[in-house]
Amino acid sequence: MRKLIVAVALIVAACGGGATSAPATPAASVPAGETAAPVATPALSGTVRVLIHQNPPFVAFMDAFNKTFETNHPGVKVEMEVVNANDLMAKTQSRLTAQDIDVIDIFAFDRGVQPFMKNVDAPGWQSLIDAGLLLDITDQAFVKNYDAASVADAGSYNGKVYAVNLGRVGYSGLYYNKDLFAANNVAVPTTWNELVAACATFKAANIGCITAGGKDGWPIFVGAYGLLGSYFPDQLGLVQGLWDGSIKYTDAKWLELLGKYKVYDGEMIEAGASGIAGDAAPGRFASGEVAMQAGGTWYAAAIDTLSPSFKWGYIPFPGSDNAADNQFMFGKYDQGWAIANDSPNKDAALAYLSEFSDPANYQAFVDAVGPIPTQPDAKLNTTLGAEIAPYLATFKIGFENYWLGPKGVGQYATPMFVNLFKPFGTFDDPAAAAAQAQADLQSGLDAAQ
Amino acid sequence: MRYLFGNGAARLAPYLLITPGLLLYLLFALGPSLATVVFSFTDASGLPRLPIHWIGFDNYKEFLTLGAAARENLDALVRTLIFCVSVTVIQFSIGLFVAVLLNQGLRGTKFFRTLFFFPVILGVTIQGLMWTLFLYPIGGPLATVLDWFGLQSEFLGGQPREAFIWVMVVQIWANMGITMVIFLAGLQTIPDEVYEAARIDGAGRGQLFRRITWPLLTPSVNTNLVLTIIGSLQAWQLFYVLISYRPGTQVLGYVVYATAFGQTSGSTAGTTFRQGYGAAAGVVLFLIVLAIGITTQYLLRRREARLLG
Repeated sequence: MRKLIVAVALIVAACGGGATSAPATPAASVPAGETAAPVATPALSGTVRVLIHQNPPFVAFMDAFNKTFETNHPGVKVEMEVVNANDLMAKTQSRLTAQDIDVIDIFAFDRGVQPFMKNVDAPGWQSLIDAGLLLDITDQAFVKNYDAASVADAGSYNGKVYAVNLGRVGYSGLYYNKDLFAANNVAVPTTWNELVAACATFKAANIGCITAGGKDGWPIFVGAYGLLGSYFPDQLGLVQGLWDGSIKYTDAKWLELLGKYKVYDGEMIEAGASGIAGDAAPGRFASGEVAMQAGGTWYAAAIDTLSPSFKWGYIPFPGSDNAADNQFMFGKYDQGWAIANDSPNKDAALAYLSEFSDPANYQAFVDAVGPIPTQPDAKLNTTLGAEIAPYLATFKIGFENYWLGPKGVGQYATPMFVNLFKPFGTFDDPAAAAAQAQADLQSGLDAAQ
Repeated sequence: MRYLFGNGAARLAPYLLITPGLLLYLLFALGPSLATVVFSFTDASGLPRLPIHWIGFDNYKEFLTLGAAARENLDALVRTLIFCVSVTVIQFSIGLFVAVLLNQGLRGTKFFRTLFFFPVILGVTIQGLMWTLFLYPIGGPLATVLDWFGLQSEFLGGQPREAFIWVMVVQIWANMGITMVIFLAGLQTIPDEVYEAARIDGAGRGQLFRRITWPLLTPSVNTNLVLTIIGSLQAWQLFYVLISYRPGTQVLGYVVYATAFGQTSGSTAGTTFRQGYGAAAGVVLFLIVLAIGITTQYLLRRREARLLG
């Protein structure tokens, strides 16, 4: 009996010393930008190596979080590397292979292979898991801090959890400058025709209509996801239709949409946008030189930081002539955290994620970076939260997060490359662009047979 | 027979002395190259612990023949050749012209020699940053000048052809210094007496260049041609820094990198790991560079033998 009591006491002691998700202080008492102190954990030591992608508000938040983590764990040093988002996966691969990384920032587990897809490559995250490079964190207590849907949809594979997702982002909207709209007597557009008219008014007043971080490439076409969404609200259905041939780029609907892409590229995006880096676009917008910025909700925190008094709004990109079609927000599960299975300092890495996942710390992250929260009690108490609240109930996962092309497809096979048209691309004629896109897609579909 | 290091066991000394260098070469150059060739026949992902299967020539078939992607790879090859020829001709010509000027002993020679060589030591990242700022389409220096004339351009972000030409300009600017220095060294080995004798015989400037300078510069010409051709065939870093992976601009070196490390989409999504496939693309590029390099070397050696005996 005595041995049983000792054994139970040992088990209880071991469980009580593990990573915990309960905050040490109430969330309301934690000043913005600071993080809550952790519940006592066994003394940690060594270095925690963290890899994240470039997003200025996120980097600033992580710098502060790391300092607090080091203060809370004097034996631990945090080394953080920041890379451009385009380079994140390549860097992740090399550091995981070299076994010199502990915690990695990883985008959501999307683009899984659908049953109707053939001759496709597995997405990178799946390869990392199959190679045993990501730690199975299914049984970690902090995972329960996140809503079940985000855990299942964005961080799980074959029934196990490998990442916690930190938030959704909308990417089908337009930021607009409230003061410029008021000064030029322009109503917030709810339809495509109203948007065209608004751009004409701003251009006549020598004001850029829409800006985007064109230098990085993807901000131009991400900015047009709202256009795509207004024509194809069921974007998984769109992917399947392109695969099985029931939807073709040469259909009348697509030709109409490509015509609007041409207008977006050539007449709406301001001249010179191709030279603006993705991170610099919020600054360009917040300077008041342009009326709107096409892009995702992740820019909101940067805009507020750059110009706290700047008045802006965020609306779904009005791609349709019917206002009712423009009421959806498309987006995705965005960044998350994973731990390297070969982490040289697994205990510290787990403690790092556990502290980050603490509801108080997570709320501070949401306040600083502005994602749509994936912890049930977190709130987006920002201008962005108020702007997108009407659209959250109809939030839809976007095309980008379902699409996988078969091997052999050409580069125009996916409508993500909206910068087909001049001045960014070479096309002037929507029919020619449609024919090229369909030919590029068909070459891969034929090869997959 | 007498050996430099003596007889007996000392004859092994030269081999022992070159062994460290040879081992380094095997470890860091030849070894990885051979491994790349082997990987090109597999479905290696580049990730540890995933099984690797021998798939024969499947990667090569896919790279060269599968669908529209293969046509784009061949387009990238054509673009690479255009880049190579254009950069070689222009860089060679400008480098030679500047070297001949600097060899005149004019005032400021040392300053201009340093100025022209300076870009070489900056490195690709700084080179790219400087030109990105210079070509910034909103309020950048060149954009401002164009604006005076009512013109506007997206420069690096604009039409693929224009962006491609700008990368060529930067490549030439970045490397012309090396071409110039090699020619300058060659010019300075030509004895003045040869020129004096030719002038006494009534040779004009053009004849001096055609009949004396150009033939005697043959070793420098050959070195510069080989370096520039091979360097421009393999160039991709400036494309990466200046314009990223854009349709209509890729060269084969960038295709190899982007394919192996999953950066073809220009989006944060869509990354796949296919280092076996990337290795096959790398071997294709190597074979092209090898064929062109060997042919160039052969033709240049024949020319050198004909001119200099």
